[in-house]
Amino acid sequence: MPSADVAVIGAGLAGLLTAVRLAEDGARVVVLSEGNGTLHWAGGPIDLGFAPRASDAADAVRGLARRRGHPYALLGVDVAPALDWFLQLTTDLGLPHAGSLDGGFGPLPTGIGGVRPVSVVPAAQAAALEPWAPGERLVIAGQAGFKDFWPRAVASSLARPEVWGGFSRPARVTAVTVEWPGLHERRNLNALRIAEAFDNPDWRTAALDITARAVASTGPGPVRVGLPAVLGLRDHPRALDAAEERLGAPVMEFPLVPPGIPGIRLHDVLRAKLRARGGRLLLGERVARVETTRRKVTAVATTAATRELVTHVGALVLATGGIAGSGLIGEPSGVIRETVLGLPVEGPPIESWLSGDPLDPGSLPIAAAGLRTDDTLRPVDPGRPTDGPLFDNVRVVGALLAGQQWMVERCGDGVSLASAWRAAASLSGAAPKRRATPRRAEAVR
Amino acid sequence: MTFAGTAAASTLDPTVVWDALVIGGGATGAGLLRDLARRGMRTLLVDRSDLGTGTSGRYHGLLHSGGRYVARDQSAARECIVENRIVRRIAPFAVEDTGGYFVTTPDDPDDYADAFPGLCAASDVDCQEVDVAEVLRRNPTLNPRIRRAFAVPDAAVEPWALIEGNVADAAALGSAALPYHKVVGFDRSGERLLAAKVVDVRSGTEYRVMAGQMVSAAGAWGGQIAAMAGAKLTMAPGKGTMLVFNQRMTDAVINRCHKPGDGDIMVPVGTVAILGTTDIHVADPDDWQITRSEVDELLDEGEKLFPHLRRMRLLRAYGGVRPLYDPNEAGTESREVTRAHVVLDHAARDGISNFTSIVGGKLTTFRLMAQDTADVVARKAGVTARATTAQEPVPDPHGGAKARYHWLGGRLAAHEAEGGGDAGLLCECELVTRSMLEEVLERRWPCSLDDVRRLTRLGMGPCQGGFCTFRAAGAVADHAALVTNDPVAIGDMAEQAMADFIRERQRGTQPIAHGRQLQEAVVTAGFQWGTLGLDSLVGTDARSDAQR
Amino acid sequence: MTIASVVEEAAHEAVGLSSDECLKCNICNEVCPVARVDDRFPGPKYVGPQAQRFRLAAPVPINLDGKPVLTPDRTVDWCSGCGWCTTACPAGVKIAEVNSRARASIRAGHRPRLRDWLISQTDLIGRFGAPFTPLANWTLHNRLFRALIELVLGIHRKAPLPLYAGRSFRSRFKRRGGLVGRAGEAALPPPDRAVVYFHGCAANYYEQHVADAAIAVLERNGFQVIAPPQECCGLPMISNGLYQGARTKARRNIDVLAEYARLGYRIVGTSTSCTHTLKAEYAEMLDVDDADARAVSQATWDICEFLLDLHEQGRLDTGFGRVDQDLPYHAPCQLRSHGIGLPALDLFALVPGLRAVDMDHDCCGIAGTYGLKKEKYDTAMRVGDDLFRRIEASGAPESACDSETCRWQIATATGRPSKHPVEYLAAAYAAADAVGGAAGTSAGAAH
Repeated sequence: MPSADVAVIGAGLAGLLTAVRLAEDGARVVVLSEGNGTLHWAGGPIDLGFAPRASDAADAVRGLARRRGHPYALLGVDVAPALDWFLQLTTDLGLPHAGSLDGGFGPLPTGIGGVRPVSVVPAAQAAALEPWAPGERLVIAGQAGFKDFWPRAVASSLARPEVWGGFSRPARVTAVTVEWPGLHERRNLNALRIAEAFDNPDWRTAALDITARAVASTGPGPVRVGLPAVLGLRDHPRALDAAEERLGAPVMEFPLVPPGIPGIRLHDVLRAKLRARGGRLLLGERVARVETTRRKVTAVATTAATRELVTHVGALVLATGGIAGSGLIGEPSGVIRETVLGLPVEGPPIESWLSGDPLDPGSLPIAAAGLRTDDTLRPVDPGRPTDGPLFDNVRVVGALLAGQQWMVERCGDGVSLASAWRAAASLSGAAPKRRATPRRAEAVR
Repeated sequence: MTFAGTAAASTLDPTVVWDALVIGGGATGAGLLRDLARRGMRTLLVDRSDLGTGTSGRYHGLLHSGGRYVARDQSAARECIVENRIVRRIAPFAVEDTGGYFVTTPDDPDDYADAFPGLCAASDVDCQEVDVAEVLRRNPTLNPRIRRAFAVPDAAVEPWALIEGNVADAAALGSAALPYHKVVGFDRSGERLLAAKVVDVRSGTEYRVMAGQMVSAAGAWGGQIAAMAGAKLTMAPGKGTMLVFNQRMTDAVINRCHKPGDGDIMVPVGTVAILGTTDIHVADPDDWQITRSEVDELLDEGEKLFPHLRRMRLLRAYGGVRPLYDPNEAGTESREVTRAHVVLDHAARDGISNFTSIVGGKLTTFRLMAQDTADVVARKAGVTARATTAQEPVPDPHGGAKARYHWLGGRLAAHEAEGGGDAGLLCECELVTRSMLEEVLERRWPCSLDDVRRLTRLGMGPCQGGFCTFRAAGAVADHAALVTNDPVAIGDMAEQAMADFIRERQRGTQPIAHGRQLQEAVVTAGFQWGTLGLDSLVGTDARSDAQR
Repeated sequence: MTIASVVEEAAHEAVGLSSDECLKCNICNEVCPVARVDDRFPGPKYVGPQAQRFRLAAPVPINLDGKPVLTPDRTVDWCSGCGWCTTACPAGVKIAEVNSRARASIRAGHRPRLRDWLISQTDLIGRFGAPFTPLANWTLHNRLFRALIELVLGIHRKAPLPLYAGRSFRSRFKRRGGLVGRAGEAALPPPDRAVVYFHGCAANYYEQHVADAAIAVLERNGFQVIAPPQECCGLPMISNGLYQGARTKARRNIDVLAEYARLGYRIVGTSTSCTHTLKAEYAEMLDVDDADARAVSQATWDICEFLLDLHEQGRLDTGFGRVDQDLPYHAPCQLRSHGIGLPALDLFALVPGLRAVDMDHDCCGIAGTYGLKKEKYDTAMRVGDDLFRRIEASGAPESACDSETCRWQIATATGRPSKHPVEYLAAAYAAADAVGGAAGTSAGAAH
């Protein structure tokens, strides 16, 4: 039965960030996850917060921090240092991001022809943060027949000024449909397959040539090129450079329906970093039960063939992600069950889980359900918050934290960053540091 | 339901004087269109929405053997079995030969089972007692404690293909069907209705349709149509709620062998299984809700047949309104009202010589209902031709070379025969290809994605449109580009298609939003709003507080 | 799904019902090694929970134009059964298992293809080949004969076939006085001083040295080894949809092993494929899950899992000598399906000088018998390509892997030997003995 200083349950953004930070600090970390996490659906932008009247993300964070019960009320101050760390980390890992807390918002077009506000984005979407120059056009290029990206529909929607809200927008929007080499013959085609094709330098060159010619055919003048988010998986930095060079224009990757290639890229580099620091990520491990002594978790048992994998732990981080991540289950009885420790959940009554007009992003009040914590992110009983933490060595991070309407407030990633930051700091302070490299056997216990 | 952008002009020619106008495009109306056409009457059918959006599109999917009625209503049972055989013969493409069982659970009385075979025989309903062990072997999720089982010729029937086939048959003879044409009034002169005032809801244009005979097959809305004509007709609509399960936990129709009640039938319909139903009187067939307590009640009953039902993936709840007719014209309890169909000749009742209504009945007997109505209408029109609808086959709208029963695996086999793969699948859950979608858009433009759904099953799988809505909207944009150059109009149409479909699919999620389907809804909403910025495309006045 | 399994509490875990959990999120497609390289395969989501909705609950033939058709689809046959989809699914859909059952449905009611039948008969192939080891080896590695075999049977001429090694392990073990009987046939050491060894076909006929190493390590730690009568675990039959034959194997193995399991003996195996079959696949695939089957399942351990467990209890002899070596390690897919982490790596960490590195590659491609087949060989080689290159680039003389078919694939593709992790542990013990003392403490012999 293996042991770890910290077991992180959940391999989404919050879980991986917490694990990486702890591993950097020398802790022995294992990430246990039922499967791959919500990062595999993510489209790229790091959502720190948004409000229509906020001038920038920092402003939005401050506004949300003033809301009673919002995770930012506690964690708002951690967003800045966490973001600094994240930006440095991702740059070191070859996946640099652009933008900042106080740099203002920009409009990022999406794979369905919508526009969403962004403040921090990976390099492939950095152009979204630059205002459009007068006369600058947007040319959207997409593979013919690729079912998750329809250039004409996207361009038609983006041609409407209202879609851009109050943001600056292109002078004109045009769509070109291209035939990248060999793709139309494929019986199976999704964003991942196209991204893998872009990893191949020869194929990439040919595809970009075709694209460049198509873009050039739309006429002279400054352009930005919008592409579906498929510019390489493992070789993305080079694919992006090649694209911008060959197209002679800034390139913007539009997020698509899952599989979310930008999210997978981030997952892959975080996982590599974790491994490099001696941490482990085990998939296919669903928590079956937890062993506790008074207010301490001592071991977590995950499902394995015919028995359990029992990991003795010094601390446990819950990064299981709310309803979307299976960290919470809404039972037909109206109970919202937290799936690892059975902790008491704060959430709306069943009649309000989904309510109102389905075309209102606020029509999912259930998304704000989650756990309440103390200042160090230890879980408390929402009904008796001053009674102290329910467990001393447990931390709650990410979407599992109650009080965030992340679809509307666009704060999910910021909460993940800030909570990972604080949880790791809190645990690093508590646990003795140990070398992360493999060590010789210890004496008989 | 709204239609953005340029809607094609209606194909209605107001100079034509039709022999008959059929109001209502459900199975009965379509059957009536076919029957009258075959008798030589040039007939027009109109429906305020797409065809098959009334009760026919919202029923259980069951082609009754009649076994359900043998105890209390022998004539209804007899009608069912006769029509069951006819429908199988004339429209096998719309029927999946699932077979059915009546099973005795621990909650069901032995005396009903004892009497059952005899009662079936008395109504000519084929019934065979079978070995329970064999039934359980083929249906392992059934309650292992069932004691007896009887095989009956129940089947699953797909209403939209059936309706399309009937309409196609009539169209070949010069008749026509127009969806999205709503009757808003009549021109009456003395004893006769001269014309119907019809509005193309997509463009708002109003027309006068002249027809010798006016027939209402408007089902639960029959009272509203009659009122417009100046006739008195009180319907007693009975709402029935149904639950759709993600997989077929049974490949045969399963009925409780007891006095008919709520939630006692599970029907495999295409890729899903549907549990029904309830029976609640509603005042307005357009205004009703599905409540969680109804859902709970259905699950409680369903568990008696399938003990693990609550662990199975519940995709949505939907309801339909039975076109029950209240002969006492007062609001009686829904269950007491007759389910037999009744042809009402308004000449005698209301002094309107050329107006007839058909009310009541069930989809299984649609052809007979249509025939009985056509007999009256033809007589009034002085047409002596007799019905041939029971003999002649209904054309398969999917053009199958050899008409055969629908096979669950058919679509997958066909897809694989053409090379398979997911590149061309716009709706992956239900294997709807790009060419299938484009073919429907071509035929029915302008139409909504819900119309496409009825003809293809788009969005009817586990993701409930989460992924395929956008792909379909993309296809809509491409198609719109064939009829207009205006990118704004194209964008409008795509967005409208998206918005309407999401709203419609979500209607069925709310009453059952728990467990895995709740998660599905949150996950898809997460990438729709979060990743894809859907809020920038679809307007809503109800912005939540968080956004102010 | 049996009636019994459905009505039990664990019913919802049943393979067929697990399709209900699918969120359509595509994560399975993202991790599938076959979909990554072969456009003929639509991916686990398509052939698994998605196609499942188009298959009848009970395999009953449909009469289609006079021909009985059992299943609507064929492309599920490209699935290699590696199990990554199930591992990566965030919702608990047992995708690989759904696929396996679908493949079995395709074959039900038809006579099996000769090749598929033949490569599943690992017992027979072993038993009849071993006495003719030199001839058999020559034939199976002769280019002309392999071309002929490819033509006639459809086994690819370059498919990695193992080498016979003369007398079977069982025969040698019996000869040197090893315990080989059923429980109750002879006096047995108590269950805390002995383990049952499930050697599997590979160790029996081709890699006796793996069995020897395992026994050396187990005996070093105070466990006598019992090798009761056993047959092929049946996995090759399961993989090829020959469920009837597999059930026969299962019943025979359970018949013998259950007796030991009930007495408290643990069943230790050196093949992650065999042990996974005993642990999970008898129940999940074959519906063989009565009380005896469950007793066997719960008593089954992979050898590294077992040794690491000993270590966690402080009972492992950690007196390993020095083994100075860079060692690329490949964790087989079947190991991940166990869900036990990477115990071999944790054990390697105890051996001084042994610099084991996880190659972190999804699948070597062989997937049991999949990569042997003519029509699948190229796909299998493309799946494993990165792994082979990485091992070659490491410059290491050998690599390690817990599964025999993976070892044969990797050895053939990289041109360097591939060994079972337990062989390094045995070598480390031997190294310690050679210098006449232990570098650490020796806990095992004490009890």
